[in-house]
Amino acid sequence: MTTQPNRRQWLAASLGTSAAALGGCSAWRPLPATTVSVVRAAYNNSLYDIVRRTLEMHQPDVRGRSVLLKPNLVEFEPDSSINTNPLLVHAVYEGFRALGARSVRIAEGPGHRRNTLDLADSAGYFHTIPRFEECFTDLNLDEVTRVRLDRTLSRLEKLYLPNTALGADLLVSVAKMKTHHWVGATLTMKNLFGLVPSGVYGWPKNVLHWAGIHECIADLYAAFPRHFAIVDGIVGMEGNGPIQGTAKPVGVVVAGPDMVAVDATCCRIMGIDPLKVHYLMLSAAGDSRLIERGIQQIGEPIPSVATSFELIPEFRGIRLENS
Amino acid sequence: MISIDFLLSRQNHDGGWPYSAGPSWTEPTVFAMMAAAAAGRQDAVAGGVEWLRGLQRPDGGWAPQAGVEESTWVTALVALLPPAQIGLERHQGAVSWLVRLTGRESSPVYRLRQYLLGFAPEPDQAFHGWPWFPGTAAWVGPTTFGILALRQEFRRRPTRSIAERLDLARRFLLARMCREGGWNHGSARALGYDARAYPETTGMALLALEGVRAPQIDRALDAAQRFLNECRSADGVTWLRFGLTAHGRLPAGYCPPALPFRTTRDASLALLADGEAAGRNPFLASL
Repeated sequence: MTTQPNRRQWLAASLGTSAAALGGCSAWRPLPATTVSVVRAAYNNSLYDIVRRTLEMHQPDVRGRSVLLKPNLVEFEPDSSINTNPLLVHAVYEGFRALGARSVRIAEGPGHRRNTLDLADSAGYFHTIPRFEECFTDLNLDEVTRVRLDRTLSRLEKLYLPNTALGADLLVSVAKMKTHHWVGATLTMKNLFGLVPSGVYGWPKNVLHWAGIHECIADLYAAFPRHFAIVDGIVGMEGNGPIQGTAKPVGVVVAGPDMVAVDATCCRIMGIDPLKVHYLMLSAAGDSRLIERGIQQIGEPIPSVATSFELIPEFRGIRLENS
Repeated sequence: MISIDFLLSRQNHDGGWPYSAGPSWTEPTVFAMMAAAAAGRQDAVAGGVEWLRGLQRPDGGWAPQAGVEESTWVTALVALLPPAQIGLERHQGAVSWLVRLTGRESSPVYRLRQYLLGFAPEPDQAFHGWPWFPGTAAWVGPTTFGILALRQEFRRRPTRSIAERLDLARRFLLARMCREGGWNHGSARALGYDARAYPETTGMALLALEGVRAPQIDRALDAAQRFLNECRSADGVTWLRFGLTAHGRLPAGYCPPALPFRTTRDASLALLADGEAAGRNPFLASL
């Protein structure tokens, strides 16, 4: 008989206090698609264990499959909280390898800076991830395929997308928990903008802005249905994100198999009402993934980790009540 | 130190160049052709020409790679090549495409729409720059190459329309400069917050503004010299060399730091910058 871990068991496992709690995890049946885990974490070697346990808990089906990790690489400032921390990216890389993935690659297409590998080097990726260049693809310069988008919400009818992303069996958005001065919050869904090749559309990928930023986020989400979501909320960014904000320590990694549910949970942690984030509303399309009881949340309860992110005046209206 | 032989070893069998490996792209092909031409390697140039000729689109422009069915900013790069090299008719097609294209935000239709909706016009929207992709706004990168290409064309065939377009594009760059001096991708201020400049775009814009006298240029040159001491990207350093040299402000005896060249584009540009140190600037010389 298989059993589902309860919140206490899961929390104990994620903190590494009960090896027995994880002993039979391979026998657990997969968690519901709307399950979101919130785990306390820090940028140290314990992160590898935490991520491995998190992935074992969600059990993404990757054995023999190709996995593409998409971090958020934006700027050259290694001491800032702009980029997804390379330690988390490496922990996720090792975690998927341990799950039996046939291949794991890391890929990104930054939106402003052209010199992607220099950016990754400066952000600490070369230092942290062994043989980084061998496992990395610059999505801005990848071969592309023209994809006709079905039932688009944006004004885009077609989009050139990188073959490396289109060919992956599972796309893992490894995003940063940040405020964003155009859309309120940038998490795993907004991170998908990095899939759009600047080699075709330019730096920035302005075609997405003209077609509607929120709508394009929703369209990209729909274009990559085989996905998994992980958010670096160990140190996020508040205020004038996603570049010029200030560091916001939260101390969590948030993960789950559905980007909408993960991003909605992150919003609650940040003190943002997910029902007021337009791209989340578009993507949820009226289902229950934006409301708390529609998400099976495991690990830390949101109130125990929630910390109100400072918002620029233009976005104070999305503040979660009572936060 | 990069060598021309290294660059030539990366040429694809179809005659074009990839960014690193894989299919040929227009941008690295044009820069590699320039570097090969400067080194007298006409055989390699001829291969590049053949590949480029197959990529011109019916509207006169060029696509960034073979799989893309749109003409984009890379057309300006092809227009930088000597007309005799790519073919006079093809070259004129590129120039015409370039002259027709503007940033969407400066188009009369868009500005009228904004006016009717009650939005105050942004001052810099009066200046036509170039977009990366048709139907979108103008940015610093493509505007730089648009200026450099039309400068060459103006020297060959001066016309009033090109002179006006060059003037507007230079004004565009000056209006998009960051408060601290220098340029980023082209958004100096967003929602009331000043944005920071980048080394590479600062060097590019300074190159395109060669010969322009304006108070902003001095601030940009100061920023470029600061960047030159800090920049850890070969791409950034190369563009700073071009930009500072264009204004006679590259420190005497400057020796670039040993930084990795990530792409054939980076390597080609570094070779061209080395040639510039010897007095040959392919972006400014009349070809």
